Amino acid sequence: MKKIILYSPIILFILITSFLFIFLLQGKDPHKPPSALIDQNLPYFVITNLFDNNKQFTNNDIKDTQVLINFFASWCIPCKTEHAMLNYLKNKNPQLIIIGIDHKDKINDAIKFLEINGNPYNYVGVDEDGKIGLEFGVFGLPETFLTNNKGKIIYKNIGPITKEIIKNEINPLLQ
Amino acid sequence: MKSIHSYNKIITILVFFIPLFYASLSSGKENIEKDFKELTSKFRCMTCQNQTIYDSDAEFSIDLKNVIRQKLIDGETQQEIIEFIEKRYGEYILFEPKFDKKNIFLWSFPFIILLLSTVILIIKIKKNSASK
Repeated sequence: MKKIILYSPIILFILITSFLFIFLLQGKDPHKPPSALIDQNLPYFVITNLFDNNKQFTNNDIKDTQVLINFFASWCIPCKTEHAMLNYLKNKNPQLIIIGIDHKDKINDAIKFLEINGNPYNYVGVDEDGKIGLEFGVFGLPETFLTNNKGKIIYKNIGPITKEIIKNEINPLLQ
Repeated sequence: MKSIHSYNKIITILVFFIPLFYASLSSGKENIEKDFKELTSKFRCMTCQNQTIYDSDAEFSIDLKNVIRQKLIDGETQQEIIEFIEKRYGEYILFEPKFDKKNIFLWSFPFIILLLSTVILIIKIKKNSASK
């Protein structure tokens, strides 16, 4: 009994440390913090069309539709790898509305990027000063959001989308 | 004569109020700088390793610093700015976890350990002195 009391701080320390390692850190990537926008409505935005600056797009245009919103830029290297996956996703799910938001980029560079790598987007908007990115809590490219058909964000991915992510995380959420 | 008198009045008013005006302007600027430093030290640079946005020159930090400065110039309070940023980036962006129900374990844990250790130490000392 005496020994148990003597060693109890060490035992307690080991137990708590193990608990922290097993339950708190398991499967959590510090580079992918949880999004504050999950289960929230899409932030309000008005965005200008990349190909025609007279056309604008707002939340109201997609309020009853499931959409995948992808923040990308021509200068973003991982976006190039991801782009093939977005083309694949669009081919497999032609009914899915995919919106591209060209974040802090030059318009001509973005147009060239889409010409070279293909355009999986139904609509491409320009976020020249990064203000729309700020509304979505974007901090690194690429970032992707999926909404349900009521305009709520149900999924977010930080970093490039892969085939595994499409299969295991995005496909099950498609309505 | 009357016009000279009113002219003197204007000069006197200017002499008193221009420095006051500049003093209030510069104290306003100093307040903004103070709030700016305090606020930017509260947010985590999301693209860096354990750095506040105040200490960081990453593009993310520079962008957020610009937003914060503009909001301070526009007259928003520190609390309003914290809420604005936290709403978009989540609690993770706060360098210091909030003192609320969710984080009670995190905040109280060191004190629980301290309390337990003290209790064990007292028991041990009492037993030792009793055996002597």
